Amino acid sequence: MSTRILAAAHAGLVSCRTCGLLVRPVTPTHVGHCPRCDERLSWRHEHAIQRTWALLIAAAILYLPANILPVLTTNTLVSSQSDTIISGVIYLYASGSWPLALIVLIASVMIPLGKIMALAFVLISVRLRSATSNRQRTRLFRTVEFIGRWSMLDVFVDTFVVALVQVAPLMSVDPGPGVVYFMAVVVLTMFAAQSFDSRLIWDAAHARQDRNGH
Amino acid sequence: MATEGDLDDLPQAVAVPAKRARFSAVWIIPILAALVAIGIAAQRILSEGPTITIIFKSADGIEAGKTFVKYKDVNIGQVTAVRLTDDFGKVEVTAKMAKSAAGLMMEDARFWVVRPRISLSGISGLSTLLSGDYIGFEAGVSTTRQHNFAGMDVPPIIVGGSPGRQFVLNASDVGSLGVGSPVYFRRLPVGQVVAYDLAADGKSVQIRVFVNAPYDQFVNAATRFWNASGVDVSLSANGLDVRTQSLAALLEGGVAFETLPLATPVAPAAPAPADAVFTLYGDRVTAMKHDESISQRYILYFNESLRGLSVGAPVTFFGVPVGEVTDVGLAFNPKTLDARPRVQIIVYPERLIASLPVSQERAAEAALREQDERLAIVRRMVEERGLRGQLKTGSLLTGQLYVAFTYFPKAPRVKLASSGGLYEVPVVMSTFPEIEAKLSGIIDKLERLPLDAIGENLKASLATMDQTLKDGSTLLNHLDAEVVPALRTTLDDARSALGSAQRMLTSTEATLVGPSAPGQQELRNAMQELGRAARSLRVLADYLERHPDALIRGKTQEASPK
Repeated sequence: MSTRILAAAHAGLVSCRTCGLLVRPVTPTHVGHCPRCDERLSWRHEHAIQRTWALLIAAAILYLPANILPVLTTNTLVSSQSDTIISGVIYLYASGSWPLALIVLIASVMIPLGKIMALAFVLISVRLRSATSNRQRTRLFRTVEFIGRWSMLDVFVDTFVVALVQVAPLMSVDPGPGVVYFMAVVVLTMFAAQSFDSRLIWDAAHARQDRNGH
Repeated sequence: MATEGDLDDLPQAVAVPAKRARFSAVWIIPILAALVAIGIAAQRILSEGPTITIIFKSADGIEAGKTFVKYKDVNIGQVTAVRLTDDFGKVEVTAKMAKSAAGLMMEDARFWVVRPRISLSGISGLSTLLSGDYIGFEAGVSTTRQHNFAGMDVPPIIVGGSPGRQFVLNASDVGSLGVGSPVYFRRLPVGQVVAYDLAADGKSVQIRVFVNAPYDQFVNAATRFWNASGVDVSLSANGLDVRTQSLAALLEGGVAFETLPLATPVAPAAPAPADAVFTLYGDRVTAMKHDESISQRYILYFNESLRGLSVGAPVTFFGVPVGEVTDVGLAFNPKTLDARPRVQIIVYPERLIASLPVSQERAAEAALREQDERLAIVRRMVEERGLRGQLKTGSLLTGQLYVAFTYFPKAPRVKLASSGGLYEVPVVMSTFPEIEAKLSGIIDKLERLPLDAIGENLKASLATMDQTLKDGSTLLNHLDAEVVPALRTTLDDARSALGSAQRMLTSTEATLVGPSAPGQQELRNAMQELGRAARSLRVLADYLERHPDALIRGKTQEASPK
């Protein structure tokens, strides 16, 4: 690092996560409440790592039923077909609309999986007190946070199709149980990203700076 | 680097005693998620039905993931894979069955492909034109589980445990019958031929028929089955009698049954048990004539020529037919060289009863049912009333003889004797010898006639006759000139009438039956049209399935292949 970094915590100060007010803690162990907005203060988000892990694991578990169970059941006059996310992608690809297949594949399969893996990577690196490529890790985390809302695309498509295509008995589309789990995965990863404290990424760097005997 | 002073300006946090939980409650979420996931997995595993394989000749209409197995129109499984067998001879279809259907997978369960079928007796499986073919299933009765089945090539006729019973008919050949041929009762279609097979010894054919409830109760021990294929034409004193069952039976054959009228008055006979064996007669007349249940054989020894008496000749009692001749031969004694014409007959007492007034039928039949009583009656008839057999001429033209029984009160008393297990009914000489005697008496008288005087008279008469003959000749000429041409015209007319009848029959055959017949052609065209319509409906449905948005936006332009 060429530029020295001063973290508030390093200076014995704490910032309010709600209103951003920089305050001096009561004591290092009992940080106290924000005098402006009465938010409870903490050096870092409380149990940030533990909570993120919990939500992340829950999301990872639910990722399985989300992909195994059908998300959409199409009933036509002649047949009834249940599609999972992956089979939908394959179907789209096989029927020639590969751009659409690619969008669904990225939005519904790769993004949730990538989010889970990215968060896990960040968490593990924090745990290992890694001090390298902090910027990249922070950027990765921000991307995860930003992109989270977009992986609801599949759920939106599902709800639209189900609401629009109801011309029974000619054709009707019903949501499958998979969509609920898929939604849970997306929501849980969003919560996981939110409960993580990105400042933790930098703490290791500071610790190293201190050790290196500035 | 900030200074101490700057930091002092910052406000002081408010101290609030905090309670700290060591373990975050957030861990409930992954635990819940894990429980849900385990629950789903457990449900999946528990609801897992058996996977079965069915061997078919071809996979026509079977698609993995799209073809269902249906039992009573309920989906009980889905085809998951279709592949060739190891020897490439057949097709192995793998299907995943529902858990609930696991109990149905017994070794005698049957599978077949349901597709539209058209035969003379009807159209079936039309719904598959739209929905695609599916695999039909019929549960068996066995309790042995099995997972590998051989599919049937043709759907079974009787499915879904339809109420009714099967019967076995023995026939000399199958004739025009086939699986699905109708069974008629009073010309009402009440069942179908289910199967046929050669008997183990190869000497007969066993035909299995299924008679639907409630008609199966009309099948009892006195029921006669006959082959109702074709037209039954008989010419009798009553005129022309044509019997057919239905047009379908005419074309593809059928079996009809009827219960002998006699069995009903006494007590409604108990319905025959399932798989009871019956004989399939060639036609109705033979079927209704024979009754092996009540019959009695007798033997008669005549003392005159049997020329003109053949097997099958009727046996009558006061002119009422009661039986027939079963054997005509000789009884020869090698020691005495005595040869006696021997005639064996069979008598069906039931026919006699049938000709009685209704009021007497019941009593008569009750008496005739028991063999001992029957014999006692015959014995009394022979010994007390002088019942005798006699050969009579049925037709003076052909000289056909028949056996007639009548009472001869003046006949000498004879006992009813038994010979070789058969009762011998005494006979009397036929009336022809009497005629012969009378004829010889006439000849004697003729000899005593005064021929010379007659000759003289004759000469005078001849002159007159000459004239008469001439007149006769004129008359004949007249006949020749006028009547014969008219007769010829009549014959020609008759011949042309026959010709046009034949032409009509030929054209009927060409229209209805022939392979290139317009009727067939049109039926085939109509079916093709129907098939095409169904295919386009299917294409539409497939398209809709693939592009549900088409319902809203209409069909988008397909990318044209390069």
